[in-house]
Amino acid sequence: MSDVVLEVDHLTKTFRIHRERANSLKQRIAAKGRNRFDEFTALQDVTFDVSEGEVFGVIGHNGSGKSTLLKCMAGILRPNAGSVRVHRRMSALLELGAGFHPELSGRENVFLNAAILGMGRRDIATRFDEIVAFSGLEKFIDQPVKTYSSGMYVRLAFSVAINVDPRLLIIDEVLAVGDVTFQKRCLEKFVEFRNDGRTIVLVTHDLASVRNMCDRAVWLKQGQVTGEGDPKQLVEAYTESMLGSMQHTETGSTRRGSGELMINQVEMYVGDDPSPVMRFQTGDDVRFRLFYTATKAVPRPIFSLIIDALGGATVSAPCSRDVGLVPDVVSGDGWIDIVMPNISLLPGAYDVHTAVQDFNKQHEYDHLQLAARFDVTTGKPYESSGLVTLRPEWNFTEG
Amino acid sequence: MSLRSAVASRNLLYLLSLKELRTRYKKSIMGWAWSLLNPLTQMVIFSIIFLKVFIQIPPTGHPSGIKNFPLFFLCGLLPFNFFSISVGVAIGNVQGGAGLIKKVRFPHEHLVYSVVIAQFVTMLIEFSVLSVALIIGGNMVLPWLVPLLVILVFMTLFTTGVALTFAAANVFFHDVNYLWGILAQLLFYATPIIYDANNPRIPRSLRLIAAHSPTGSFITAVRNVMYDLTMPSLRDFAVIIVYSLSAFAFGTWVFTRLSPRFAEEM
Repeated sequence: MSDVVLEVDHLTKTFRIHRERANSLKQRIAAKGRNRFDEFTALQDVTFDVSEGEVFGVIGHNGSGKSTLLKCMAGILRPNAGSVRVHRRMSALLELGAGFHPELSGRENVFLNAAILGMGRRDIATRFDEIVAFSGLEKFIDQPVKTYSSGMYVRLAFSVAINVDPRLLIIDEVLAVGDVTFQKRCLEKFVEFRNDGRTIVLVTHDLASVRNMCDRAVWLKQGQVTGEGDPKQLVEAYTESMLGSMQHTETGSTRRGSGELMINQVEMYVGDDPSPVMRFQTGDDVRFRLFYTATKAVPRPIFSLIIDALGGATVSAPCSRDVGLVPDVVSGDGWIDIVMPNISLLPGAYDVHTAVQDFNKQHEYDHLQLAARFDVTTGKPYESSGLVTLRPEWNFTEG
Repeated sequence: MSLRSAVASRNLLYLLSLKELRTRYKKSIMGWAWSLLNPLTQMVIFSIIFLKVFIQIPPTGHPSGIKNFPLFFLCGLLPFNFFSISVGVAIGNVQGGAGLIKKVRFPHEHLVYSVVIAQFVTMLIEFSVLSVALIIGGNMVLPWLVPLLVILVFMTLFTTGVALTFAAANVFFHDVNYLWGILAQLLFYATPIIYDANNPRIPRSLRLIAAHSPTGSFITAVRNVMYDLTMPSLRDFAVIIVYSLSAFAFGTWVFTRLSPRFAEEM
């Protein structure tokens, strides 16, 4: 665990931004003597270590230097100062299928791509069947890849990349590939990687995966490390700073969105009791009431209620579109009731967030982070660990 | 440095070269026949011009005694085409490899090597066809194929060096690509392909340039063994070796220095 596999040591990378891009000899000669470029510092004095077996996250805004860092770690860009030291066999997935040739068959491309990723001939030959099986493209492997759908293309590329058998895997935000089945298989592969004690560096702005998968993370801001450590705290701090325009409400909750339609408050009731509660038991019939205000008529809004466990994992996130409840237009004040009979949540503390979006989930009217917090106490059924009960029935047969 | 990486990742080099060969004539009905048709067409054109328009006497091979312009022409054209096409394609291959260079760490020089290797294979095929034609024409070239191979290996080193230099420079200035088009044309006529560098009617200074320019000395040597059936002099061999080693060393040096900056320049 203590073995350092990746050392990023005072890494600095600057780019020249040409005011007039001199891509021809004439321009370059004409511009001689006058330095017509600005220096842009993409990374400044970035230092961190990644230990064997860790899942390490790198988060940051667009333009924070994530990609540059990734390319420096992968050895694609040469840093201006400082160094990157890699002590294990590394594979960096920046883009899937880079180097695939459309006219060549899947089989030929597997060999070529694996070689580009640094595999020897014998290794590829022994792993070939595994690669093809993982991609699920046995039937098409002798077709030219130009006939593949984009999903098939990416699946094959990912299968090659993951089977290079690295001890250190550096991944860009390429994980959202393929259909659901394939994504599940990828996730399983990552878990397998982690359980094998391999090291994964994840460069992303998908905060959920950092929070759920990573052991440690760094936060890059304008090319500098702003924070390093526990991913949950880091993600929280990052989210805070990212939503600079957010208003803090008096209850400690935070809000973002365009604001035409807002959730003012969330209340919870148990059974028919008209007084709101902050605490209930497993097995209670719980009603969540979302009070909203629309400052103007909003067509076809979508309401979501997100219930997170205290650790950050989302337990449930019902959305009104999923049940087909889409009002044509919403204006003025009102409320929405969401009833959860015989609630399955196990004892613990939970956070409630709400979101209001347009029908295509492209526009956010309102997002109220931490709209409410509630506690669940021991009720029926009871399980000592986990977040929810699936109401198991036990049978014990002897003989 | 770069030779070592070539050995270390020879599998990649092999597969990249294979890709060059496999993808070149994909989707064409004639396929590999095109590789032979191009020099044959040039041969027909220049034979007509040389023999019928300008009414020249075909150069005689010494001591072989062969007197055949088309064969004389092809002995010069094939190695020259190998050189000029390799450099041109290598420039484009590195430029077109931007997607790869920006996303994967791999030895960039392989983009050049693979082109040269693929072109070398093509040239070998062309030379085997030419050898058959020469034998039919009365030149027993079989024993001369060994020195031919030696000369071609040195020419490959030379070609690789030039290709590395131009391909690397082209990443920074795309002019190089166009410049090469013109340079290749100039070289074609500066090299004794359609004429004999020993023809006494050509002014001595031009003859010297033609015979001792880098491409000229290779083509003269190839013609010595294939057309004249004689060994190039030791001096000629020395010149070839100096040209090829220095070009290769220079190209490797330039490419190794510039290639770490490719990813951000592209």
